[in-house]
Amino acid sequence: MNRFLDLILRTPLRTQLYLSLGFAVALTFIASLVALVSFQRVGEAQRVVNEGSVPNIAAAFLVAQDAQSLAGAAPRLTVARTEEALRDAVKEISKTRIAFTVHVDALAGDDEGENPATRHVRERGTDLLSNLDAIEDSAVERFVLAARSQELRDTLRSVETNLTENLVTAIDNQLFYALTGHRDLQSPPAPLEAHFTTGEVNKYRRVAELYDAAAIGTQVLANAFSFADRAQLEPLRERFEAATRQVQRNLRALGDDPIVKAVVPMFDELITLSVRGDGIFAIRESELDLETRQRGLLGNNRAIATALIAEVERLVSRAREGALEATSRSQGTITTSRRVLLVLNIVSIAGAFLIAWGFVGKVLLRRLEKLSGWMHRMAQGDLESKVEIRGQDEVAEMAAALEVFRRHALEVQRLNLVEKLADELKGKNSELESVLDDLQAAQGQIVMREKLAALGELTAGVAHEIKNPLNFVKNFSEVSEELIEELDEILPDEGEDFGEDQREEVHDICQDLTENLKLIRQHGDRANRIVHDMLKMGRDAGDRYEVEVNLLVKEHSNLAYHSARAADSNFQLDIVEDFGEDVGSLECIPQDLARVILNLVSNACYATDEKRKEGKDGFAPTVKLETRRSEDRIVIRVHDNGNGMPPEVQEKIFNPFFTTKPTNQGTGLGLSLSNDIVREHGGELRVESKEGEYTIMSIDLPVQRVEVPVAAEAVT
Amino acid sequence: MSHLVALGGLVALGLLCTPLARAQAPGVSEDRVLFGQSAAFTGPTADLGNGIRVGIQAAFREANARGGVHGRKLELKSIDDAYEPEKAIVNTRELIEDPEDPVFALIGAVGTPTSRSAAPVAAEAGVPYVAPFTGAEVLRGTNWEHVVNLRASYNQETEMIVNYLIYSLGITRIAVLHQEDSYGNAGLYGVQQALTNLKMPLFGTSSYTRNTTAVKTALLDLRETGADAVIMVGAYKPVAATVLWSRRIGFKPVFITISFSGGYALARELGAKGEGVYVTQVVPFPTSGARIATKYRRALRAQSRSAKPGFVSLEGYLAGRLAIVGLERAGRDLSRANFLESLLRSDPIDLDGFPLKFGPGDNQGSDAVFLTMIQADGSYRPLATPNEAESE
Repeated sequence: MNRFLDLILRTPLRTQLYLSLGFAVALTFIASLVALVSFQRVGEAQRVVNEGSVPNIAAAFLVAQDAQSLAGAAPRLTVARTEEALRDAVKEISKTRIAFTVHVDALAGDDEGENPATRHVRERGTDLLSNLDAIEDSAVERFVLAARSQELRDTLRSVETNLTENLVTAIDNQLFYALTGHRDLQSPPAPLEAHFTTGEVNKYRRVAELYDAAAIGTQVLANAFSFADRAQLEPLRERFEAATRQVQRNLRALGDDPIVKAVVPMFDELITLSVRGDGIFAIRESELDLETRQRGLLGNNRAIATALIAEVERLVSRAREGALEATSRSQGTITTSRRVLLVLNIVSIAGAFLIAWGFVGKVLLRRLEKLSGWMHRMAQGDLESKVEIRGQDEVAEMAAALEVFRRHALEVQRLNLVEKLADELKGKNSELESVLDDLQAAQGQIVMREKLAALGELTAGVAHEIKNPLNFVKNFSEVSEELIEELDEILPDEGEDFGEDQREEVHDICQDLTENLKLIRQHGDRANRIVHDMLKMGRDAGDRYEVEVNLLVKEHSNLAYHSARAADSNFQLDIVEDFGEDVGSLECIPQDLARVILNLVSNACYATDEKRKEGKDGFAPTVKLETRRSEDRIVIRVHDNGNGMPPEVQEKIFNPFFTTKPTNQGTGLGLSLSNDIVREHGGELRVESKEGEYTIMSIDLPVQRVEVPVAAEAVT
Repeated sequence: MSHLVALGGLVALGLLCTPLARAQAPGVSEDRVLFGQSAAFTGPTADLGNGIRVGIQAAFREANARGGVHGRKLELKSIDDAYEPEKAIVNTRELIEDPEDPVFALIGAVGTPTSRSAAPVAAEAGVPYVAPFTGAEVLRGTNWEHVVNLRASYNQETEMIVNYLIYSLGITRIAVLHQEDSYGNAGLYGVQQALTNLKMPLFGTSSYTRNTTAVKTALLDLRETGADAVIMVGAYKPVAATVLWSRRIGFKPVFITISFSGGYALARELGAKGEGVYVTQVVPFPTSGARIATKYRRALRAQSRSAKPGFVSLEGYLAGRLAIVGLERAGRDLSRANFLESLLRSDPIDLDGFPLKFGPGDNQGSDAVFLTMIQADGSYRPLATPNEAESE
């Protein structure tokens, strides 16, 4: 088996495939031959059925169907109310008639008239058609009679109207004359003996009888139209004749009266209506006869159709027998060929299974599956496992090629990875750099804005601070001017001696002047320093140097106070200073620390002022400034009796942009920056507050300079 | 092959989906509405049929001159029934069932026996029966879904007559001469009702055969009763004969008759002898200055040079106008049902000052009765309009 497998693996794939296909084609060809032979035999049997029995059965069914619809449609001919309806019915029936004739002919074609059943069907068909012709004829006849009948009716009505009008008027006239003697409106009435006579009264009776007879005659004729029983016509004729006799009698009795001349033609017409060959009675008799005949024809029609259908059934059952025989013959053929085909199928399936399992499955597909598995893994990124397939055919060659491809791919993949990582890192770096730049720029802007805001707030305070020394300078300058004028007066005229008194006076004045100028310089220095501080505060970088803490607190709290007062003229505040004697100086960045103090005092001013505005009685806005020194720390406290803060606000006050002031009044950065500054100095900014009562802000700074990076400081 | 079958199927489907041309009601086309009339154009009531016809034609011509109703011209097809009920039935069937040109509605029938026979034929076919020239109660009330009456009823006319005789003339001995048919009996019944309401007896009745002038023996009977007033319910010819013969034999009661017999035909038949005969009318005075009368005369002149204004043709004109209102209200999308609906179930109608009002169970438009009297020159003189004043 293994040797056989090896032999196969050495054969080229093309040869392997051709061999297996050839085998399959051979099997299929044999199966087809068997099927062809059996189809031919079945077809032979089927042809016997198709050409013999089936057309006959079909034609017979159609004949039966047509006969039934012909029998069913016939009554439509007799009930058609208008000639148009009759034409429609005839048209429709003639269609069925044509179909019927065609189908009967088709039936006869096969057996050449030898079959007695077929002959019977044809005979019945002829009967049916001729019967139908008779019904059609009678329907046409009915319309002729109906038209004549309508004509007679119309005439009868007009005769009746005329007779009534004439006779009723005549009766009226005759009675009126007999009673009153008036004939017409113009002539004078006849004398009583002329009009009230037996003769006139008798004449009235004759006319009245004439009218009665006319009424009976017309009524009898009218009744003739409504009676459906032919036997009833005879008594009517009898009564009409009696009425006629009565008319004749009365007409004779009336003699030559004008009324006789008027009504005789009418009575003639009436009698003509009854006696002539096509008079009312004759026409009615014809109509009733026709109806009877039509009923008979319709019954006949149904009987013929039923007989025809019975013949057709006989025919069908014969044809069915022939068909059954042919069918059983073809059934035998089908069974035999089915068996042969079954055997061939089993051989084919077994062969196909062997090829599929032995060659395609075992040799080709499994190896191709393996190969495809490797390709899949490679496509998913697994380039590490090696491709191995034995054999020497095309599959083995593909495996070798795939192995080469795998190695190349591995190299390329590694190179790509390194390059990609480098690129990503570079991109991230530059992104970070630009973000950092943006952040720094934004931070600088924010700090600068806060500084400028604080500076703006201070302007009023600064102005006040500068105004004080300037006042001093102005006042002392004025005094000094007066002193110099005095000096000038003391100076002796030409040739005059300079006395001891004078000399002493000059000396005193000079001493005062010196003193004044010293004060002027001091105040000038002070103004200068204030301006200097201001400038420093606006600048960014600052150097550390020693500063007197109490002085710093005092000056900048003053600035804050004056700023607040300049902004609001109603502003009032008591500032209580409680400076420790031993506080001394501290090394710091003075403008930064000054900003912290300004910020805290400004907030205290704002808080007390808010509470004052609530207008509580007995409230005195007070800010207490305290400085203390312990061994190594200096504490600056700003205590106000404003509204204080709830704990949740206290938690947030050092957050940037947090503010409780109305919009446009605070940046929310003051305490945040102050906190940063204090921490840069190694110290700590604390808050202590009770809502509605007070707030204490404490700056706790170490005396020794401590370098603490802001980020590393633990947040309290 | 299967593609061909599928294609065929699609074509058939397309044909089925194509909206069919809108089916018009019978007698209605894009540009025409056909009305039918079966009335007497020959015999003793011929003047009535002719008068009604010319009135309807005048109203139709007037509307057609304005471009018709909703773009449709109005046409009238008239057939003679000679005042015979049998003929009226045949005519009505013929008008409705004409396969070439059936009518949309029937209008202007003349007489009670004819209308009461023809109206059921129309009702069975669902055809509107507009403005029959009769005041009989039998065509009034809830049983008639398809009948639209224009005029006041005979009962209303006879009630007015009885009231006038008793209260205005002080006459209590009242007799009736009527035609022996449903029309005559309707009038007789109306008089009896009116008298019963006043708790008064009827003094005598007498009748004559329809379509004859055989009234003389009936007249003798009336003379026997000694009545002071004779209410005549008949056609104009026998009514005229009654008056003429009565005058001839010296029987001189107050003669009073109702609208059906009392047109200008009656006045013509009577001639100078007609003076003093009272006639009730159900339409305004045709020669008056009322708006409807003026319009009517203008329309009549346009229709016929020879036709003289009269009560009958005015009633015909009003019938035509009523039909036009119905068509206008029904709209372009005309059907027999919405035509009837628009007349019987809608707002009151005003025909140039002649008011009509229908309602549930009320298929009679006008209640107006006018009393007139024939003068020596054969003309009519209005006497009183007690229940409806002529407007303007």
